[in-house]
This record gives sequence, structure tokens and C-alpha cells, in this order.
Amino acid sequence: MGSRASTLLLSHSQITRLYSRFTSLDKGENGTLSREDFQRIPELAINPLGDRIINAFFSEGEDQVNFRGFMRTLAHFRPIEDNEKSKDQNGPEPLNSRSNKLHFAFRLYDLDKDDKISRDELLQVLRMMVGVNISDEQLGSIADRTIQEADQDGDSAISFAEFVKVLEKVDVEQKMSIRFLH
Amino acid sequence: MGRQSPGCLVGPLLALFLQAASAGDLSGSQVLEEDALPENTSWDAEEGQGNESLEHAFFSVDYQHVQVPFEITLWIMLASLAKIGFHLYNKLPSVVPESCLLVFVGLIMGGIIYGLNDKSPPVMDSDIFFLYLLPPIVLDAGYFMPSRPFFENIGTILLYAVVGTIWNVFGIGFSLYGICQVKSFQLQDVSLLHNLLFGSLIAAVDPVAVLAVFEEIHVNEKLHILVFGESLLNDAVTVVLYKLFRSFCEMPAIKTMDVLAGVGKFFVVGIGGILVGLAFGMISAFTTRFTKTIRVIEPLFVFLYSYLSYLTAEMFHLSGIVAIIACAMGMKRYVEANISLKSHTTIKYFMKMWSSVSDTLIFIFLGVSTIGENHEWNWPYIFFTVIFCLIWRALGVLVLTFFVNRFHVNTVTGKDQFIIAYGGLRGAICFSLVFLLPDFHRKKLFIAATTVVILFTVFVQGMTIRPLVDLLDVKKKRESAPTVGEQIHIRFLDHLLAGIEDISGHWGQYYWKDKLEYFNSKYLQKFLLREYDQPKSSIVLLYEKLERKHAIELAEAGQLGHTPSPLSLLNSHRSVTTDGKPEDILNPDVLENIQEILARNLFRIRRTVPAYNRHTLPGETEPAEQAKEILILRHRSLRMELSENDTVGSSKEKDDSCSAQEDSSPKPKLCRSLTVRNAERTREPKHNRSKSVCVISALQPGGAAWANKKEAEKELTPDI
Repeated sequence: MGSRASTLLLSHSQITRLYSRFTSLDKGENGTLSREDFQRIPELAINPLGDRIINAFFSEGEDQVNFRGFMRTLAHFRPIEDNEKSKDQNGPEPLNSRSNKLHFAFRLYDLDKDDKISRDELLQVLRMMVGVNISDEQLGSIADRTIQEADQDGDSAISFAEFVKVLEKVDVEQKMSIRFLH
Repeated sequence: MGRQSPGCLVGPLLALFLQAASAGDLSGSQVLEEDALPENTSWDAEEGQGNESLEHAFFSVDYQHVQVPFEITLWIMLASLAKIGFHLYNKLPSVVPESCLLVFVGLIMGGIIYGLNDKSPPVMDSDIFFLYLLPPIVLDAGYFMPSRPFFENIGTILLYAVVGTIWNVFGIGFSLYGICQVKSFQLQDVSLLHNLLFGSLIAAVDPVAVLAVFEEIHVNEKLHILVFGESLLNDAVTVVLYKLFRSFCEMPAIKTMDVLAGVGKFFVVGIGGILVGLAFGMISAFTTRFTKTIRVIEPLFVFLYSYLSYLTAEMFHLSGIVAIIACAMGMKRYVEANISLKSHTTIKYFMKMWSSVSDTLIFIFLGVSTIGENHEWNWPYIFFTVIFCLIWRALGVLVLTFFVNRFHVNTVTGKDQFIIAYGGLRGAICFSLVFLLPDFHRKKLFIAATTVVILFTVFVQGMTIRPLVDLLDVKKKRESAPTVGEQIHIRFLDHLLAGIEDISGHWGQYYWKDKLEYFNSKYLQKFLLREYDQPKSSIVLLYEKLERKHAIELAEAGQLGHTPSPLSLLNSHRSVTTDGKPEDILNPDVLENIQEILARNLFRIRRTVPAYNRHTLPGETEPAEQAKEILILRHRSLRMELSENDTVGSSKEKDDSCSAQEDSSPKPKLCRSLTVRNAERTREPKHNRSKSVCVISALQPGGAAWANKKEAEKELTPDI
């Protein structure tokens, strides 16, 4: 566990902290979390993206996530420290780099894993995020506009590179970092 | 609007004149009494005369009989009419906070009464304030306090309340003493103890004033709870220090033992208040266990026990405010489980009503009591009091926040600090305390200084806080407006982060919370709840209502698994597969349209909007509405998906049974058991849906479900 944790770049206290959270969520006390354990968190029920966030913890086809998987997903949200930026570029990129953070977000959009956000997938996410007052045509035109702004290779879908480009002015490192993991 | 504004003035004016008339009667009542006697004798004398006395008998006015209730009702009527008046004219409350307007009305009232009688108008009696006007407000605050953010930030709140108040008291006291040393101000005779006494009553931040102003500015939940919680809890410190210094004033010599006794007293006051409150809360919860047959008086118990806890605490010189808050927060959960829904609504409405009336009356009385001859205007002292209040509060907040940020991970930002410091409003508590001071020759000076500080904070700080907050926000705005894509993605990331933060939990709170929950489920619930099965809250009831509605719809449609309405996503998907969407360039005004639509309709992130609101019930505030909407949407999408899979053709019968279950958290998690059975067909279904317990897990094979849907649709389209 020690060596693996170092690739996730979490300190000892952070791991202990996450472990106590893991055990408090694990009501069945079998060392793994199922989807129901996540759904027990009340704030997630009213988060528009709740389902997708929960899915992000589970790998393909799996129903349970162990502590390592839990940590691994959360490690994406560790803030980027200044001293890491100048680190050795040859090693594997840490999970909480800007690129990996964006990749995590991209995967939440892209359900069929074809490395593109199609209009449909965008519509689904939009529908989850807006209220009932928006009609489908309006939603459709918003989605069209979004794709049109981002699309550079003309395939009516947003690829990962285009996604990164749209967010280049946004401070993703700050927006996708949990403060406590500092 | 033009037609309404004269109307809105008539109401308060009418009330004003009624008031003036009654006040005229008030001062002239003594004269009336003297007149009454000759009237009576003259009446007796005239009795024999016949006609004239009969005229007297038909129409007589006996004001003394109804005087007290009549005047009280008129005051309350004035307060309520004033409130209506303000809200009729829409623009006003956004510029001037309501509390300012009420004080202003009070000033006018006081001026009229003074003008009519040439005497000082009735001063708000401290007893009336502390015994009748303050408890409803604090009860309302405690009952509707969102307990999760409160307990998450309890450390910070306590730090600000206790240490911050002590810092302010001593800071203001000592610096004012320093001012008194200056010979030219003629203040030599105000001793250090007097200054400390004054400091103790002026340093406390007032919950009434804070609440009134903070509603107008929309701050995030955490900040709101910080200032609010601090203003409620600093009562304990204020009470102790005030009484301590007052007793010191009367003692000839002060020993260190007395000081230590004072410190010990603080703990007694605080913890004693909490214990008294909790005791009454538990008794109240226990009582409501047996009220099943007499639902009508259930709300009464809540109010009676809370008020009793306040009075009991005051009786023992403990902190009444802390007691009533502890009582309300402790009993809320059990009482709500035991009482009927109607009683619950009644309690909520009555609380809001009473606290609203109290609040309005306090501010009006504040205005009225200002006018009069109670003041000694020593301008340097007053001026420096105001300055020092501001300075010491700002310093206190800065220093404390520095410590808080080192140990806590949720940092209090600079803007937050400014709001905390600037939002430290003083209000009626200071005012009442100053009138309670023992009579000494400088009392009027203190009264004057207190009045000015309160008016300054309410008017100047109350009115300018919103523009300043907006100003601070503006500096952080971007140079160019974000594109639509950016907006959407940013909101997406915000929701994502909120979700991840909820999953990863907050700093160390859960250990104690779990312990408390364990204790609760093992012992307390059995004792205090009438029915041991899980209580239902409004979201659960909403779900059940939707279930029933859908069942009715299905029955009407005649077929299980047939959705009457076309699926929007299915449509759009079809449109993509059937016709290629033409690439049209969208106009700039379409873009503006889109921006506006998004700004209005994107769901807000949970953290930025506070859940407690003075004037609306918890179920009706915006975040609660938004939560309901999100749940409905998810419910709907789940239904769509399930019924789609039915139309696909594989033989699956779905069986929905909604059992709502509430766990440790206030908001219930929604769990439905979804069993998918094969009907008569022996053919194996395409995918086995495992028995899953919760709604969301039906959407579980996220990508897989959509992939299957696409396959299914491709099968469908050739058919159509």
C-alpha cells in the first residue's frame, strides 16, 4: 500500500483521513463500497450529476469499489502543488495533473467511451443541469452552439483536445481540487 | 405602482394617527380619571332629570377598560401595516433594508408622541423586550437553523462568539478608558469599570439586526451560518460579562478570586443553558408521543416547552438564548416525527408569524425610544465609541480568521472576513441592556452612545453592506464574457466538485455524528418516538405522490410500460439518425438569448445558497424547490428508461414498490426496490438486471444502458 500510495501522491495523514471516511460510508463493513453506500449521502441525491459521479468510482462492469479504487478516483482532485510543477517530466504524470483532471471530467460526459462528446451526450448532461423551463428546442440550440464553438475538425462532436482548448482560460486546477486534500 | 404608493402610505398614516390619539389618551388618562369623577357625580345628579342622562347611557366611552390590550394591538397593527406598506413599493426594500425603515417609522412615531405631549414617549421596557419580544425570534432562528452547516462550523462559530466577544469587550473598554483620560473631553469621572461595563454591552453582535440585514444580501451558506451562529451564541458571553462587571461596580474591592469566579461562571452559564434547553426538549418530545388523539393542541406544546426553557434558564441566571436554541434543535427531530402534518405546518407558520411581529416591534420601539430626554450628548465619547466598535471588530475578525485558517481546511476568504467584520451589527439587545444599568450619573451618556452606535450600524452599515459586497464581487469578474461552452463546462465542474466533496466528507465531523446517531437509534428513538417506523419527510411524500400519479396514468393508458409522452431524447436521437442537421451559423442575438436562458435556468450549486430564510418556510425556499425539481427529473428519466426497455420487447415486467427510508441524515435517501422478473417466456433476457436497491442504480450500467438503447432504437427505426 505504501508504494502504491506514493504514485497517488497522497500523504499519510490524508490516507488515514480518507480511510476513516471510507469505513464510515461502508455500512456493510465488508471492505468495499457499493453504489448504495454512495447513494446514502443525501447531498448526492440532489446533485444533478450525482449518478455520473458515483459511476466514475466504479470500473467497467464492477459493482464494488475497494479502498484503493476510492483513493485513486479522489486523488484526481488533489490540488497541484507548486513544487510538483517543476518535477521530473520523465516519470508518469501524476493523477492530479491538469490534463488528468480534465480527462476525468471528459469521461463523465463521454458515456460510450468513444473519446468524443457527441451532441446526444451533451444534451443529456444539459438536461440534467437545467430546470424544467427550458424546452427541448432551446436545449438543442444550446447544445449546437456549444459544439459549434468548440469544434475545430468539423465532426460535430467535441474531442478531448477541443475540450481542453475550451477550458484553457479556466482555472481548472482550482476548480477541480478539494481543499481538504491539501 | 403610482396608484399603489399613496395607498401604502395611507395605511401607516392611519395607524399613526390612531396611535397619537391613543397616546394622547395615555398621557391624558390621569386627567380623564379626574374628570370621570365629576362626570359620575354629575350623572348621578342628573339621573333624576331623565332625558339627558338617557342620552349618556346610550353611547359612552370607557377607554380605561380596554386600554392595555387596545394599545398593544394598535402597536402590532402599526408594525404590520408598515410592513405591508414597504413591500407594496417594490424598489424600496432593495435599497434600504427593512430594519432601517422600521426604525425610521419608530422615529417618526416617537417624534409625534413627543410633539403632542411634550414628554418623553414610552421607553421600551427591558422586561418586555427580554421576556416577550426576544424569545420568539430566537426560537424561530433555532428551530429553522440548518443543523448540518451549523455543526460543521461549530468550532469557528464558537471561536468567534466567545473569543471574539471577549476581545471586543476588553478592547473597547480599555480604549474608551484611554479616551476618558484626555482632559479636554471632560470625561474624567468615567472609571475603568464603567467603561468595561459599557464595552460588555456594546460589543455583542445582535442576532435580530444581523438576520434582518443579511437576508438582503445573498451570501453563501457558510458565511451566513458563521455570522448568524456567532450572533446567537455570544449571548452567553455577554450575559456573564455584563453581570460580572455590574457586580464589580457595586463591590468595594475586587480580588482575583472574583475574576476567576467570573470565568467559571461563563462555563456554568453556557453549559447550564444547553442542559436546560436539552432537558426541556426531551420532555417536549416525550410529551408529543402521547398526543395522537388530541392533535389540535400539539403545536402548543412546542411553544410552551421552548418558552419554559427560556424562562427557567433566565430564572437561574443562565443564558436563555442558548437554552431556547438547544431546546428547539434538540426536540425538532422527534417532535416532527410524532406530530401530524397539519400541526407541523401550524408550528412553522406560527413561529414565522410571531418572530416577524416581534422583529418589527423591536425596531419600531427602538426608533420611538430614541426620541426623548434620555440622552447626554458628549460627542467625542460617542464618536470614539463608534470608531472603536468598528476597529476592534475588524481586528478581532482578522486575528481570529488567521488562526481559523491555519487549523481548518475550509478557509474564510478575504471577502468573507470583510462581511463578517462589517456585518457585526448591534441592535436591541444592547439597547435593553443599557436601560438595565444601575442609575449613576453617567448613565445618560451611555444611553446616548448606545443609541448612536445602534443607529449607525443599522442605517449606515445596513444600507451600505450590499453595495460594498457587490463592489468586491465586481473586481473578480472576467474581462470578457464566457462563451456558452465555457459556462456549461464550468457549471458542470462545479457540480462535480460539490459531489466529490460530499463523497469525501468534511473535516473530522463524522466520528461524533456517527456516535450520536448510534446513541439516537439505540436509546432515544425508542423512548421519544411514538411509532418506531421511519418517519416521512416532504421529499418522500412527494415521491409517493408521484408514484400514485404515475400509477393512475398507467391505469388510464391501459397498458403497463407504455409511456404516453414521447421521449425527448429519443426524438433528438432519431432526428440525428434520420436527417443530418444543417450547420447553420447562429446569430449573436441568439447567443445572447442563450446566455440569458442559461443564467436563469442552470441549477445552482448547493453550497452557494443558504437554506435558512427569515420570511419563507423551509420547504419553499429556492434550494428546496431546486432539489425537488432535480429529483423529479431523475424520477422521470428513470421511468423513461424503464419503459423504454419494456417497449424494446424483451419480456420484462417491472415491479415498483416505493419504500422510502430515512437514515441518519435529515434529507432522506430514496430507495426503491426494483425487481425485474421474467414473465412466462423462457427466453433469457438480454441483460440481467440485478436486484438493486436504489433508484439511481437502475441507471447504473451507464454506458451500457445507452449502448443498448441505441441498439434497441436501431431495431425500432426500420419497423417504423
